[in-house]
Formats: sequence, C-alpha cells, structure tokens
Amino acid sequence: MRALKPDLYTVPQGPSTIPQLHGGRCRCGYVFFPMQAYGCEKCGATGDALAAAALDARGTLVASARVLLHAAKDRTAPFVVVSIKLDDGPVVRSLLAQDRADRLPIGTRMQGLLAEVGRADDGETVADLRFAPVQPA
Amino acid sequence: MPKTLKDLRPVYVVGAGYHRYQPLSETTFVTLGLAAVRGALADAGIEFPAVESAFVATALLPMAPGRPILRHLGASGIELIHIENASASSSAAFRKACIEVASGLVDVALVLGVDKPPTSGPRGRAEAKTGIGNLADDAIVPFTHFALLADQYTQRWGVDPNDVARVAVKNHANGAKNPNAHRQQVRTLEEILGGRPVAGNFTTLQCTPVGEGAAAVVVASEDAIRRLNISGDKPVRVTGSASRSQRVYDDNTTFDANLTSETTEICLREAGLRPDQLDIVELHDAFTVEEVQYVEAMGLCAPGRAVPMLKEGAWDVGGRCAVNPSGGLIAMGHPIGPTGVGQIGEIALQLRGAAGARQHKGAKTGLAHMVGVGAVCYVHTLQRD
Repeated sequence: MRALKPDLYTVPQGPSTIPQLHGGRCRCGYVFFPMQAYGCEKCGATGDALAAAALDARGTLVASARVLLHAAKDRTAPFVVVSIKLDDGPVVRSLLAQDRADRLPIGTRMQGLLAEVGRADDGETVADLRFAPVQPA
Repeated sequence: MPKTLKDLRPVYVVGAGYHRYQPLSETTFVTLGLAAVRGALADAGIEFPAVESAFVATALLPMAPGRPILRHLGASGIELIHIENASASSSAAFRKACIEVASGLVDVALVLGVDKPPTSGPRGRAEAKTGIGNLADDAIVPFTHFALLADQYTQRWGVDPNDVARVAVKNHANGAKNPNAHRQQVRTLEEILGGRPVAGNFTTLQCTPVGEGAAAVVVASEDAIRRLNISGDKPVRVTGSASRSQRVYDDNTTFDANLTSETTEICLREAGLRPDQLDIVELHDAFTVEEVQYVEAMGLCAPGRAVPMLKEGAWDVGGRCAVNPSGGLIAMGHPIGPTGVGQIGEIALQLRGAAGARQHKGAKTGLAHMVGVGAVCYVHTLQRD
C-alpha cells in the first residue's frame, strides 16, 4: 500500500497501529501540521528551531458537515468533512471514511485510517487518510 | 503613543453611489464603476475635479482597472492606487482613504469597489500555492468551512440549525427593499430551507451570491465640506477605524469570531462607544451562521443568545439594532471588491435617514464589519449627531 500524500502521513506497519501525521514542533512549544520549514506561525523562529514531529492520527471531533453539492469533478458528493482536534494539539480537517447522513456528536473520539482510493500503474494500492469514530472496545 | 483616527482631523463620508449588485452579465466593469462613482459624486453634489486621490478596490478583475474607469470622468492626473484584500478589499481602501484625509494630505478622496467574477474559473488564493500540503484541500471550500462552524455552534449552544436559517429570512426581507441588492425577493423560512442543499444544513439561499457590481463613497474633510458647499444633511463622521489580521488563537477553530471580537473591541474603544449604542450593524454574513457568531463576537449580546434574539426581532429594521439592513451579503450580494465600501454607503444613508423603505428610524450610530480570507478583519464606526 502506498500513501496518496506521503508528505503528510505514514502508512501504518501493521493492522494494530494507526497512521501518523508528519507534523512539526517549534522550540517555543508550538505544535503544527503539516511540517514546514518557512518559520513558526507562533513565534517566527526558523531553521533548527523547527523539528519534525510524528503526530498520532487520533483526537476528538470538533465539527462535521455533510457536503451535498461539490463543484470539483474528481470528488463525488455526498461526503462528510470533519474537523478534528488531535490529541497532540493541532486541529486538522479531513474526510470521514464513510458517508453518513446522521449528525456526529461533537467530542466523539476519532482515529485515522488509510482508505483505498485507487491503484498505481504498477498495481499497488494507493490509499488516502480518512477519519472514523473509534469503535467502543 | 500612536494616534488613532479620532486624534487626527475629522473625516466624513459625504456621498455614496452604487451599480446594482447582480449576476455576471455583459455589462463592462467600466460601466459598473462609472455608475457608482457618478452616483457618489452626485450624492455629494461635487464634480470629479474636486477629488484629490482615488482608491480602487478589486479582487477578481485583472490588474489596474482604475484608470480605464476613471479616465472617463476627465483624467485629472490625481493619485490612483489599487487595493486587493480579498473580501475586505474596499474596506481596506476606505480605511486608507480616511487616514489620508484625516492626516491632512488631501481634502477629498474617492473610494471605489468594483468587480466582475472571471469567466475562466476562480482566480484562486495564494494560500493554495504555498507548497504546504493539506489533507483535504480539494474538499473544503468556503461553504464547507462555515458548515463546520455552524455544526460546532449549534451543537455547542443547543440551537436548532433551522433557526440559524432565519438570518436569511431577515436579510432577504431587507434586500427586497434595496434597489441595489442582488436578491430582491422576500423568502419564507420554508423557501430558505427548501432550497438546494449545499453542505451541512446550508441551502443556496443561506449562502451569499457572488456576482458583479460597484459601490463608491466620497470621503472629505471639514475644509472641503465648507469649500465645496457640500449640503449639511450629507456628512456622516467616521469615528473609528480598526484592522487586524489572524493570529494563533488558543482555539483556532473559531478564528473568524476571535478576529472579529478583537478588531471590533479596538474600533469601539477608539470611537468611545459601547456595543449597545449601535443602531446599525452591517457585517460579513456570507453564510447565515456568520451573522449569529459575529453579533455575539461584537458584544451585541451574550454568547449563545443571538438566535433567540433573532427570533424575537432584535436584529430587524425597527428592532434593537438593525443588522444588515442592506440585505447583507446574503441578499444584497457579495461582488467581493465593492462589498465593504457598499456597507459604508448603506450606513451613511441610514444615518442620514435616506434609506427609504428599509430605514431604521432614528439611526445615529453604525458599524461596518468585513472579514477577508487570509484572514483579515476591518471595522469602522460612523456617527451623526
């Protein structure tokens, strides 16, 4: 399996692990996603002050919205966009793994997974990051 | 100690003009712009040679549309500057024109906002070209962003999302009385909710129509008002001007409201006003939920109270504070470049008692608010004795 956006997240090594996001941490303590080297949005530091930080794709739901009308032809509505506050700090926006019409309660525990979105020329599966509610144990 | 606008010499809006906001048409940007400028000059009762500097705001037209418009008023050779600041382009132009007149550098400045959406697809945003990736960039457009905020807000406060749609009912009713509005039709809640679903609880009638149009105001000093014999019923004083851009907030998910809150606070402090003294508020309601969040962020009511007060009619023309009497972005429309200065013109008309069927009686104090992607925020207060 190959990541559609390898700059942004890892492909988990086994079924029991969750994907990790390629974030960054500034020496001022600010944690951000995705990693960038232009400079810290909080304090302006750059260079060695900014270090890569692996962030677990796990957090709580801030909000969700089901998109019913979408102009871009490469993505078919309906789909659900989610805003998630990662346990490591940053808020990310992604898609829900499965479309659903009912409203997800804010605060729902969410985690990332890789969903197949196509195949590469060599036949390898290409997967993109999605989020889904954590199933009760 | 830095000065505020109020520490400089007084500055006034003395005339306002429009070309109706409308769907994209064959009308040239020149025709749009000239209609607004000639309207503003006629309203002020002055001729173009009296204008000493011109600020032209646009976000969607190709570069430098100002001279192709203004030369048809008699090319007088005055300073001409273009300002692009997303949705807040002409709010920024208005602020800079006020500062220039207040500083004493010029006595009369023209602010024109004019735009036509490109036919060859959106011009796009620089944010998409930073080289920094995004998990779902192709899936999140402005209405998705605000649908997420609507879900967050309504769940936080236990508000029925269908009640948020009442903002659109109110603003369509106001727009129906505004000859310059893009949408001029009264809509029932059933019609608003029964429209084409877009995202979350939003239907198309809860979202702004982006079309074409133009708006202009003339800004003048007291010297100019005397020298040009501008009628005493026209000048409306600009008593506060503030602008901020987005910081890193503790809760970045509500950055639009945070930015609105801090910019409004600065402007009101500068003007020496409290939120409860505002008779008119024109704010950036590109989506219904924005009006609800911003009236709270401005301090017009306590957090979570905007929708109950909306249902009680507090934000109606004739209510406690008329919010978006022009119809707002939802009904008056949002041609981008003109929108911010169009709000200033509406407030000037309201404070002069010249707003016709949508007049909020006895209006003395108004506030204009715009946000633009980036994000930036502009707030101005206008007052009349």
